Amino acid sequence: MAFVSHSQRDGIYTFSSRPRPVENRSTYREPPSEQTPSNYGNIMYDRRVVRGNTYAQHIIPLTVQPDPAEIQRQQEIRRRAVTRKHAREQFRLKTPEALQGRKHIDVQTELYLEELSDVIVATDIECQTDAFLDKPATPLFIPAKSGKDVETQIEEGELFDFDREVQPVLEVLVGKTIEQSLLEVMEEEELACLRAQQRAFEELRNNELAEVQRLQEQERRHREEKVRRIAEQKEVLKKQRETAEKIAARAYTQQYLADLLPVVFTSLRSHGYFYDPVERDIETNFFPWLMAEVNNSLDKRYVARELLDNVIHDVARKRLERFKELETQSDRSDT
Amino acid sequence: MAGVLIDPSRAPVPFGRWAVPQLFEELRRPETDGRRRALASLCDLMHDPERIYQTVNGGFLEQCRDLLMDEDPSVRTETCELLNLLTGHAIGRQALLSSSLLPPLSQLLDDDSSSCRTGAHHVLNCLAQLPAAAEALLSLVPKLMLKLGEEEEEEAQVLLLSTVSYCSRMDPLPALSYDGVSLLGHKLSHRSPNIRREAAAAMMALSVLDDGKRQVCEGALLPVLVHLLQDDNLEVQTNAAGVLMYTLILTTGKQLCLELGIIPVLLHLVKRDEQAEEKVRKALILYSLRALTSLAEAPDGRHLLLEQLPLLVRRSEAPEEDQDIRQAAQTAIRVINRAS
Repeated sequence: MAFVSHSQRDGIYTFSSRPRPVENRSTYREPPSEQTPSNYGNIMYDRRVVRGNTYAQHIIPLTVQPDPAEIQRQQEIRRRAVTRKHAREQFRLKTPEALQGRKHIDVQTELYLEELSDVIVATDIECQTDAFLDKPATPLFIPAKSGKDVETQIEEGELFDFDREVQPVLEVLVGKTIEQSLLEVMEEEELACLRAQQRAFEELRNNELAEVQRLQEQERRHREEKVRRIAEQKEVLKKQRETAEKIAARAYTQQYLADLLPVVFTSLRSHGYFYDPVERDIETNFFPWLMAEVNNSLDKRYVARELLDNVIHDVARKRLERFKELETQSDRSDT
Repeated sequence: MAGVLIDPSRAPVPFGRWAVPQLFEELRRPETDGRRRALASLCDLMHDPERIYQTVNGGFLEQCRDLLMDEDPSVRTETCELLNLLTGHAIGRQALLSSSLLPPLSQLLDDDSSSCRTGAHHVLNCLAQLPAAAEALLSLVPKLMLKLGEEEEEEAQVLLLSTVSYCSRMDPLPALSYDGVSLLGHKLSHRSPNIRREAAAAMMALSVLDDGKRQVCEGALLPVLVHLLQDDNLEVQTNAAGVLMYTLILTTGKQLCLELGIIPVLLHLVKRDEQAEEKVRKALILYSLRALTSLAEAPDGRHLLLEQLPLLVRRSEAPEEDQDIRQAAQTAIRVINRAS
């Protein structure tokens, strides 16, 4: 920091350094670790600065180590000063103390007495200025004309050329506008590019999607067609089987019922469904009547026989009763 | 000089990296005018991807939520514009998805001001082009289908249809279950080509499922679609051909379309057109070839196409540069000749 330069030219010692502010260092110094920023101290409050009267300053000796003889001499001087002071104190005349009940007072003994007082005589004096009078207007100071009259005028086109000067301003204005519009156009172009790309992709995608869906639909149709055909075939087979069964059943029944007709006729005939009408008539009409008449006549006979039986029975009973009566009569008569 | 604003409709932009935070601070103030101007300045800034990164990482999106529910409709519209610019970049899209801004946006769809609704539709549309976002928006599809019936503005309708078609490409079920086919069928005969194009695109997404194909056949939409094949707008033609390509996979579709005489129309589309640029017609040719392939599976169709085989052979051979068209033509020829 302090660029010390000392050059020894012809044995003369010189020292010079750049002015630098005094650093505040602690009493017990550490080596200055950082160069910046050192606290600047106020030189007025720096303990290292010498203050006051320098006439009777104790000049620091050149050598740091004081001479031992010098030290002894210093001590001697000090001791002697002290003893002298003591002796002077002892031999100085002092006023004796006041007696009891009295007091010492200072008295003036000069020719002319002065009044000694603490109060300082003071008088008040006041003064007032007069009120201001209106000052008349100062006359205009027109200095006397001196020198020559000169005039000047700036004509058009002399100061600057507008067309040339306006160019940079115009350039900036137009440039900024064009820059802004270029930005906007680039933006729109970018968006348009993105959109075009998106659209191209969408077209291809739609294309492929349609193809995929068409193939899907085709596949579905084929599959359905296949399923339908298989079902149809199954139907056909089933119908064939049914037809074969029907034919077999028909043949069997035909064969079974082949001799049905003669059997039927035989059975009918045997059951008498083919009859001779006269015979039938005789059977149905004549015979029952005949049998009924026969029954009637037989019934009559039976009735007659029964009557007879009843008569006989009555007679027999009566006889029996008569005989019984006779018996009893005979018995009674016996006894 | 200090108090004069250069552009009174925009707030002054602070310098450097303070721009975005400071402007968002200004948005908290109660005066509507200040907020509008701050929003206009922010919209200007958001074209720079660095600013978008700053916005997203600084967590300012939550403030946008309050702005979306502001009383002034122009503030809401401008906020939608801001969100629109955010969706132009991937980080913005991710941040929008992960933030809780979707419910306020869907509420904005019911807004009174038509510009707000259009703005909200725009944001949802840009968002739906990202597949992950389309998945997230699937829950919104029922509400969108409802709006389809109510919305008057053409621009909003176009955006709405586009959003529905993007979402349906991920999963057609929600739109289908909310009567999508019949709603879209009405739109197919709209006078504006944009609406027709988007409606046809959405219908193409819906007809991927079997249920959708059946509904298209039952809804008597096939004549309309065949008519659209002869539309002036190329995209409308392409999308209509796409719907037909899917619908013809069903047998009922094949029969109905053969009755309508679709084969000559399709063959006309597949024919080489010297004036038009072949690259833009690539999708149309591909879809028509696929439709013809499906038709060749029906016996009547096959008869008609056997006569027209040379046309397809021309498409399948070396002069055709595009590999995809060649393959599609070869498949068609194969099916016609029943070699497969």
